[in-house]
Amino acid sequence: MPLLAYRRVVFRLAVAAAVSVAAFPAMAADPSQLVQSTAQQVIDIVKTKTGADRQAAILQVLQTKFDLPAMGRSALGTHWNQATEDQRTRFLKAVATAEARAYSERFGQYGGQTLTVGKVTPRANGVTIVDSRLNQKTGQPIKLEWEVRNDRITDVKVEGVSMVMTRRSDFNSYIQNHGGKVDALVQELETRAAR
Amino acid sequence: MAASIRRSVVALALCGGLVGGCASGDTGAAEVWDPLETPNRFIFSINRAVDIIALRPLAVMYRDLVPDRAQTSVRNALDNLGEPVTAINEVFQGDPSRAATTVARFLVNSTIGLAGLFDVAASFGLERTKEDAGKTIGMWAGVEPENGGFYLMLPLVGPSNARDGTGMMMDYLVDPFRILTFNLAGGNWDAWQFGRYGANVIDYRSRTIFALDDLERNSVDYYAALRSAYTQNRADAIRQKREKTDTKSELERRENLSLVK
Repeated sequence: MPLLAYRRVVFRLAVAAAVSVAAFPAMAADPSQLVQSTAQQVIDIVKTKTGADRQAAILQVLQTKFDLPAMGRSALGTHWNQATEDQRTRFLKAVATAEARAYSERFGQYGGQTLTVGKVTPRANGVTIVDSRLNQKTGQPIKLEWEVRNDRITDVKVEGVSMVMTRRSDFNSYIQNHGGKVDALVQELETRAAR
Repeated sequence: MAASIRRSVVALALCGGLVGGCASGDTGAAEVWDPLETPNRFIFSINRAVDIIALRPLAVMYRDLVPDRAQTSVRNALDNLGEPVTAINEVFQGDPSRAATTVARFLVNSTIGLAGLFDVAASFGLERTKEDAGKTIGMWAGVEPENGGFYLMLPLVGPSNARDGTGMMMDYLVDPFRILTFNLAGGNWDAWQFGRYGANVIDYRSRTIFALDDLERNSVDYYAALRSAYTQNRADAIRQKREKTDTKSELERRENLSLVK
């Protein structure tokens, strides 16, 4: 083999190695990619499916792209520690159903919205914040911030309003007004989920 | 090489999980201070009754029956009347150049834009901003923007707090249009004011139908969910203002340094 060709092969190998090394971590943990693909999935579902089909598909997305157990734990706050194992499981299941229903009802029909992903800010505690804008056909774009940890979405902020934080206030207040019992909340969520 | 990177990624992820695990246990700081909860909830229930009977149906009719263009024009005109208050606040927020832009917008839209019905200034590149004294106070108060004093449910107005309630009073007092109509319209003063505030309420309610319906449907305690959402939304707006000012003053500082050199 002539020296030049040999050199070229070595060069190619080196490039390939460099690319694979650079690409692997990027593929494993690229939060903006995760946000983009999740949004695209949801848009596709809203475009093609309706009713129970849509809710099931959204639930699937929530379970694969979001860290639902962590979100539920955070939403329950200090009450999580008091809850029994059975209550926790029931709570997480009811919350997942409620969120899936909320999301599938929220977008009645696809209205031509698109998501533009912006700045990605890694934080010291392993959380990455992904800024984005939901562009609408009419009116101002809506500001969405995504919190990503371990390749899963752990929170979404709409115009600064965090989903998890709002749920936490909501749940905490409900528990406090029902004798400080987690069971009351779990039952309420289950009745709503069954409706 | 790839394996070691993979391992460190796993290690990082684990650390993140551990740290995050500790952080997710707190609740206290996230809660809104609401010492007047009982009277607030009482006012909230009256507000909701008024909303269900009168306000929301009116807002829905307005949204669905009035042509979109007319709605945009009404919004433009109302926003135009609010422009002087925004400019005053921008001065107190330490941003006189932005205040000048707002005044320029106001002058252009009030004349070429036919009393504010058309936002001509935006097509000149003068973008609209909307400021209020609640934000101005929040910007300079040395506390977390989530902390706006005690939470307050105002009759007809809705969610507020000590900071934003005070701000609203201040905006009302300095509003040139209120003072002007008071002097010019004389006896008809309240008719003008009611017309303007009424239009503002319907316009604002028509734009919040979707968000509020959603919040109500998906919460087990609507009062608490709204309290949290309001506080977070306001805090986010104030935080954005603070960050903008910080970057701006940082840039100015650097510029001054380079001038010294």
